Amino acid sequence: MTQTLTRRGFLSATATVLGASAGAVLAEARPFALGLTPVFLSNDTDLLRNFQNYLQSSMQGPVEFVQRRTYEEITGMLLEGSLDAAWVCGYPYVQHEDAFALVAVPVWQYQPLYRSYLIAAKDSGAQGLTDLRGTLHAFSDPNSNSGFLVTASDLAALDERPESFFRRTIFTYGHRNVVRAIAVGLAESGSVDGYVWEALTVVEPELTDQTRIVQRSELLGFPPVVCRIDRAETPSIRALQAALVNMPSTATGMNALTLLQLDGFTPGSSALFDGIAARMRRLNARG
Amino acid sequence: MARVPLIAAGLMILFGIFASQQVLSALTRLQEQKLRELAQVQLDGLEVATLPSILHQDVWEVYDTLDRAARASKGMRATLLVVGDAQGKVLAASDPRRAPVGEPMAQFTSNATPVKDLRLPSGADFIRVVAPVKYHDETIGTIAAEMDVRDLARERRQAGAYLLLANAAATLVLAVGGAFLMGRTLRPLATLAHHMGESGGTPQPIPDGLIPPGKTEVSRLMHNYNAMVGAVQARGEAERRLAARERFVSLGRLSSSLAHEINNPLGGLLNAVDTIQRFSDRPEAVRESADLLDRGLRHLRDVARATLDLHRTDMADTPLTARDFDDLRLLFAPEVARFSQNLTWQITAAEGDLESLPAAPVRQIALNLLLNAAAAAGPGGGVQFRTASDGQDVRLSVSDTGPGLPPEARARIFEDGPAEPGGGVGLRLVRDLARGLGGMIAHDRNGGETVLTVTLPIRREGVMEC
Repeated sequence: MTQTLTRRGFLSATATVLGASAGAVLAEARPFALGLTPVFLSNDTDLLRNFQNYLQSSMQGPVEFVQRRTYEEITGMLLEGSLDAAWVCGYPYVQHEDAFALVAVPVWQYQPLYRSYLIAAKDSGAQGLTDLRGTLHAFSDPNSNSGFLVTASDLAALDERPESFFRRTIFTYGHRNVVRAIAVGLAESGSVDGYVWEALTVVEPELTDQTRIVQRSELLGFPPVVCRIDRAETPSIRALQAALVNMPSTATGMNALTLLQLDGFTPGSSALFDGIAARMRRLNARG
Repeated sequence: MARVPLIAAGLMILFGIFASQQVLSALTRLQEQKLRELAQVQLDGLEVATLPSILHQDVWEVYDTLDRAARASKGMRATLLVVGDAQGKVLAASDPRRAPVGEPMAQFTSNATPVKDLRLPSGADFIRVVAPVKYHDETIGTIAAEMDVRDLARERRQAGAYLLLANAAATLVLAVGGAFLMGRTLRPLATLAHHMGESGGTPQPIPDGLIPPGKTEVSRLMHNYNAMVGAVQARGEAERRLAARERFVSLGRLSSSLAHEINNPLGGLLNAVDTIQRFSDRPEAVRESADLLDRGLRHLRDVARATLDLHRTDMADTPLTARDFDDLRLLFAPEVARFSQNLTWQITAAEGDLESLPAAPVRQIALNLLLNAAAAAGPGGGVQFRTASDGQDVRLSVSDTGPGLPPEARARIFEDGPAEPGGGVGLRLVRDLARGLGGMIAHDRNGGETVLTVTLPIRREGVMEC
């Protein structure tokens, strides 16, 4: 934060609703780096461009989207400071609750919550998790709540481990990839983000049509946008938070939200993620 | 003559087939080479792209890579890409339903070949190639690709069809043209063959109108042919004249015997006349002399008649009878007597069988053989004449005690070569007459005797002109 102020910095500061202190909002010469994980349809370039445009105009400065294959890489980059903020999953947030601060939590279907879906091929007759024993199971990411933790903790409750319960497990590093794996027949069952699956029914129904939902989890905290706790009060983070929370108030923001198939963002609270924390404890207790 | 153009057309068809085969196999080789290059590039690219994922056993990444490769190479033939791990199990495939994860890799590699051995078998719509994935000289997996080659097969079929059509058309044109040209070229030879008597007739000279103008080889050939035909005809004419003369040779041979035959009784007859004149008052003496005169004159009449009959051409159609043999004996007996030879005369042929044969040629055959036998037997020798018949054939058999047939006589009677004058009286005529009657001549040398047997088939209708 040692760089000189820019004219745009002042302008953006005046636009800030949440009262981020004027001056150093986006004073940095380097773009604001936002890490993305496949907690939403991160492969949709149209969506990304709209979202990026909105953020840049709202935050009055360049915003760079950083994508990596795994949640672990994004989490690591956030921890070591090369990212300003990241849209991660609730599971990494809970894992690093002492290091991360919530910036905003998406609102989907009027609440900042979502479910994990256990899905299988369209013609599967499975009624629940236990019917999927011996199948080739596709997880999204070992650090994903909906794409791993939910199923793994459910199995822990049954005193099972994924690698022995399923014939084989694969990680696709993307919720859309989980759906794809089942749709093409590579995997027989999978654990997927319910929001992503529902969003796909709109944009790529030919994929979801090949799958069916076997089981829905309870409502859990929606994958949040987080930052390092020591940066939570910086102007750029405040600007990001304001931009996200104020999305429905502008046309470009609404446009981006429509593409994201979200209602909006809310500052949220860590209590939203208690369910995930409970599952994590259950899994860790199993050892 | 139509054969040569047909052979030429056949050769053209064979050449067309051979050329088509060459073109098709060249096309196949070209396709194989292109396919090998394509397959090599694809497999190499896949190896590079999937190697890290194979090392990490990352099923999804391998699938995603294969899926993208398969999509990117749409139109590049790959219909299925399968990657197997070091344990020979499917790690992932571009179509997981066809090659599920964990299935044995063998079902995709067993009928696959390495790229360098890639061939395009006729009728194959899909072929499979396989390549190992190596990391630090260690095989960590395999990549198999199924390639759609239906379009190549279609291309070959199409090329084959076009070649067939084009070759058929070209062959037809060439064959028709060739046949026409060859026909034109060979027409003089056909004319020549026709005139040479290809249907069994005698060679005829080629009319001037049919001889190509100018000094070409063909026209020279035809002129030479015409000259040869002239020579052959002249020779035939000479042979016919010689044969006609031979008829009279036997008469010539007989003339001195006949003169004796006439002269000998004349003395007795003149004595009888003298007796009648001197003893006209002695009725018994007159009667005896008159009887003597009667017998002598009758004998002379018979000799004259037999001599006349021998060469009468108006007797050609007269059937043969036993009397003809009596006449022969009458003419021949003085010849035998002159050489003090012993004559055996045995006629056993049935009258009915003899009638089917014409008298003149048979008499000529028998007389000529007898005269030769008498000449061969020499003074004091023996001559036998026998006839026999069995309802099928009439056999005339003449034997003598002479030294046997000299080679030139044998040539005249048994061979077809030109007959030089001399070497047996009328033997060539015997051969020609016997052949004209459909008969055969056999020669045998038996116990110091030379036997010539003429077997003449009995004919029930008509008589052949000789």
